[in-house]
Amino acid sequence: MGSGKQARFDRLFNRHGDGRAVCVAADHGYMSDVTPNVVRLRPIVEAVIRGGVDGILLSPGQAMRLADLFPGREGPALIIRADWMNMPRLGTSNVANAVPQRLLYQQKVIRAEEALALGASAITIYLFLGYSDAVEATGVEVCARFVAECRRAGLPCIIEPIAYGRRVTGANIVELLTLGARMAVELGADALKIPYTGDVETFRRLCEVAGVPVLVLGGARSDNERDALELFAEALEAGARGCLMGRNVTKSPDPERIVAQLCAIAHRGWTVDQALRGEVWPFVRLKAHAAQCTGCLLCQTACVAAHEAGAYGVTGARLRIEGDSFPRGRRILFCTLCGKCLAACPTGALRWHPASGAVELLRERCDRCGACVEVCPTGVIGRDGEGWPFVCDLCQGEPECAGICPTGALEVAPRRSPFA
Amino acid sequence: MDGKPYRLREFISPRDGRSLILDLSAGLALGPLPGFERFPEAVAPLLPHVDGLVCSPGQAGRVRARSQKDAALLVRASWTNALRGPDFVLPLETVRYIPILSAQEGLDVGACALVLDFLLGYEEEIEGSCLSATVQLALEGNRLSMPVLVQVRPSGPRVALRDRAIALGVSYALEGGADGVALPWPGQRTFADVVAMAGDRPLWIVPASPEQAGAEAAEALAQGACGIWLDPVYVGAAALEGLLFALRAQVHPEPSEAGR
Repeated sequence: MGSGKQARFDRLFNRHGDGRAVCVAADHGYMSDVTPNVVRLRPIVEAVIRGGVDGILLSPGQAMRLADLFPGREGPALIIRADWMNMPRLGTSNVANAVPQRLLYQQKVIRAEEALALGASAITIYLFLGYSDAVEATGVEVCARFVAECRRAGLPCIIEPIAYGRRVTGANIVELLTLGARMAVELGADALKIPYTGDVETFRRLCEVAGVPVLVLGGARSDNERDALELFAEALEAGARGCLMGRNVTKSPDPERIVAQLCAIAHRGWTVDQALRGEVWPFVRLKAHAAQCTGCLLCQTACVAAHEAGAYGVTGARLRIEGDSFPRGRRILFCTLCGKCLAACPTGALRWHPASGAVELLRERCDRCGACVEVCPTGVIGRDGEGWPFVCDLCQGEPECAGICPTGALEVAPRRSPFA
Repeated sequence: MDGKPYRLREFISPRDGRSLILDLSAGLALGPLPGFERFPEAVAPLLPHVDGLVCSPGQAGRVRARSQKDAALLVRASWTNALRGPDFVLPLETVRYIPILSAQEGLDVGACALVLDFLLGYEEEIEGSCLSATVQLALEGNRLSMPVLVQVRPSGPRVALRDRAIALGVSYALEGGADGVALPWPGQRTFADVVAMAGDRPLWIVPASPEQAGAEAAEALAQGACGIWLDPVYVGAAALEGLLFALRAQVHPEPSEAGR
């Protein structure tokens, strides 16, 4: 993946350093009849942004009209729907058709360079299977063209395989979706948007044969909020990297709340029940009051003892005390959860621990390059005798250093997001 | 300056002019191939044993960290559903053929050559599309020094004389501008015509089955074929590694030819 494409890909999938993305599809006005979620799109988009959404899928026209809602790094990534189709208006659709359509039709409507100029971090396109060989071939051609354009433009291409038509049955739909997923990847998709297959095992196989990030879509809106959350939780368990949900969010009476629930499941590792209860963010951070530090080094000693059974001393501590009390005062250097080590890691070996919220090292991915050690602004990431980096894990939410500090120079403070 | 010979030498050994190609591009139409669900991991151990790997444009970007001893990348530039049999989840109803990659795009994904299908025995418009795609890609390939190889597939229901259909496909491919052709074994007599027709253009034989591979390879190589083009759709992943070793010994018989 080229650097431009990687940067945009990370913009979508790595906002929280966990490789996951909660996205909302708000492009229905492009294809279906005029429904309330189409008419009142702006307040819906504002609500999902308040909920913490990572990416929003819009038509080119709405992307232009709603550009002010995408304020850059703090806001969500923009995904552009780059093709048009009439499936929701076909006779068997669940939408009341103003102008019913007879045949499925798909049309490319914007080039990758044009989507890039609108500020897109990715585009999505359809790949239909099961309707007719002709429609499938057209879809293959459209996808191939988009993939090539995206490659040149440095824009991630998300392909959405859809099993639809007379050749789709309850018996073959899972196999068709798996086929579509792999065909999309063979064509060059960088990620997939795809329906849930109905159970963890078949969706896990789909994710495995895809080999690229999979975003599960929600399908038709369910009256039961729990259904969408459970579908998402199961998809994550099977290996999905996020969701791109539409009507379950945009037609919800409270889009902000359901996005926050999806984010809690994806980024905080919450269960569906926790998300529905809206539990308080449980994570903590360290807070220092350097003026109260006496330089006793009990914090470092406790850190070493907590991480290396039987060890005593300060070598290998995940925090450091520098300086004398006079004239400049002491400095307490500890992990500020800035996330720079996660961004610098070339192999994705560092992530936010889903339970504690601290930085976690995945040894199986680490190649011991030392990039995290070099980039750490407080210099508290060290390396052991074999070169493995060691990072502050906040002692699984109860930091020993703060607990033992006799003067309160170190304390545990609440934290509102992974980025303290 | 024509850079095609340089690219061709990436997968045709300059020492003996021979080549062993592994074609794993069928996933474009068939989805995950058995044994190759996790493509990069599955293909990595096979790369040192072949001269060229045909893959889809998408998988080309995932075959990474190739060394000097690993196969060159050839990328499939057309899509067809003609490979689908009656037992497939979407059985073939109407044959379709789509060019999916330009020569420039082939360069972008790091291909040493592009591969087009040439279907015979279906509707007339399919043949026309195949010929048109061959000519257009060959013209662009000439401008960019990108070799274009054509795989002849006489698989349609209207094929009456299979060996002559294969020769016809090779003729069309060469007339269209192909820099090399992969074809099923058409028998000794027809292959002699094909070799004469091809001149210095390399020809690969696609064995019909593992059982026939050795014999077909021996006959074809003796008559002037450049090499063997192995397609696991017909061979099967289980038998692949052993077959690759055996065919490699046939294609590159010199003991010193341990790698490219």
